Amino acid sequence: MSDALTLRLKTLIIATLKLEGVRPEDILDDEPLIGSPRFGLDSIDALELVLVIEKEFGVKIGSSEESRKALASVSTLATYLRAQSTRV
Amino acid sequence: MSAPAPLPHNPGPSWGFGFLRWADRRWPRWLFRPLLMAGTWVGLAFMPVQRAHSRAYLAVVFGRPARVLEVWRHFFAFADFLVFSLQAGGGAPVRCALEPENAAAFEALVRSDRPALFGTFHFGGSDLLGYLLSDRGRHVTIIRQQVGNSDDTRLLGRRFAGHVSFLWVNDPAHLLYDLKTAIEAGESLALKCDRLEFSAKAEPFQFLGAERLFPFTIYHLALLFDRPVVFCIAVRGAGPALRVYSSPVFQPDPALERAANLHVARRHFQAVLNQLETLVRQDPYLWFNFLPLNPAAPAALR
Repeated sequence: MSDALTLRLKTLIIATLKLEGVRPEDILDDEPLIGSPRFGLDSIDALELVLVIEKEFGVKIGSSEESRKALASVSTLATYLRAQSTRV
Repeated sequence: MSAPAPLPHNPGPSWGFGFLRWADRRWPRWLFRPLLMAGTWVGLAFMPVQRAHSRAYLAVVFGRPARVLEVWRHFFAFADFLVFSLQAGGGAPVRCALEPENAAAFEALVRSDRPALFGTFHFGGSDLLGYLLSDRGRHVTIIRQQVGNSDDTRLLGRRFAGHVSFLWVNDPAHLLYDLKTAIEAGESLALKCDRLEFSAKAEPFQFLGAERLFPFTIYHLALLFDRPVVFCIAVRGAGPALRVYSSPVFQPDPALERAANLHVARRHFQAVLNQLETLVRQDPYLWFNFLPLNPAAPAALR
């Protein structure tokens, strides 16, 4: 079930990536973000998302492995930020 | 743990680069040149795939089927540049003469301490431009594919050590993070923007009579990291000199929305490609992509 952080993340993802016609409730917590045919996000989109998340939550995602794990889904991103960020 | 994937190789024998360097140093020009021409015929005979791509590309430029001699000229232009590149890697001086159009803005950017994104193409002497920026005090990270037998890259890297670094695109999983790290560290990047294989973003642009897909990633990076973009194309001038054509500088405008910036970026890149097409039509043999020409864009993208 979505909590305040996952809702905030979904809103951020939609705004950052200009996902037209997508509402926060359309994104499932465990749905893959990168490589999903529904969103069609590529590596530049992922990079853009990483930059926005770093700025918004004051974290540094330092490697592609870390980013792949963190951006696997909204749920994994929320878990990552809870562990890493003081701004959650 | 799996073994790392073997590096790709340039076409031709593994001893080809070494032999070219040896012959260029030892043999007089009157002997080396005709033998290089003859060797190009041998290369033409043993590289059917590259020959077919050359023929197809030249047919597009000429508007008629290309003759065998024209395909040979294409191959020879590349062999000639390779020798030039190996000479440069071996320490031979190379002078860059900037064409006047856009030169002032380009010089101002290069001589500033502002990190920038330098784009170019596999055309003429453009491959050397990243290294030669060091003459103007720039440290540049050159993005390229690592191949197992690229002696020219190895030699140029050694000659310009301290002024250039390499970021290899062979591992796309790490490429974007390496790019991010380099840009955030204030590095300037040099990347070629004609081959689609490692590009995250491609868009259609008018080139050689059709809407063709070209990598557009450089502009997305510019917008994400607020970096200027400038393109340079080099052709051989007299002697050991390169004539360099620079584009206007594209600078993301923070007052504009992303979509508006991308619109300006597309216009900028189309102007760059128009300039490239002019040079391609002046000397078609300098297009050093022995690969399928950039494909026509699907109707949905036009």
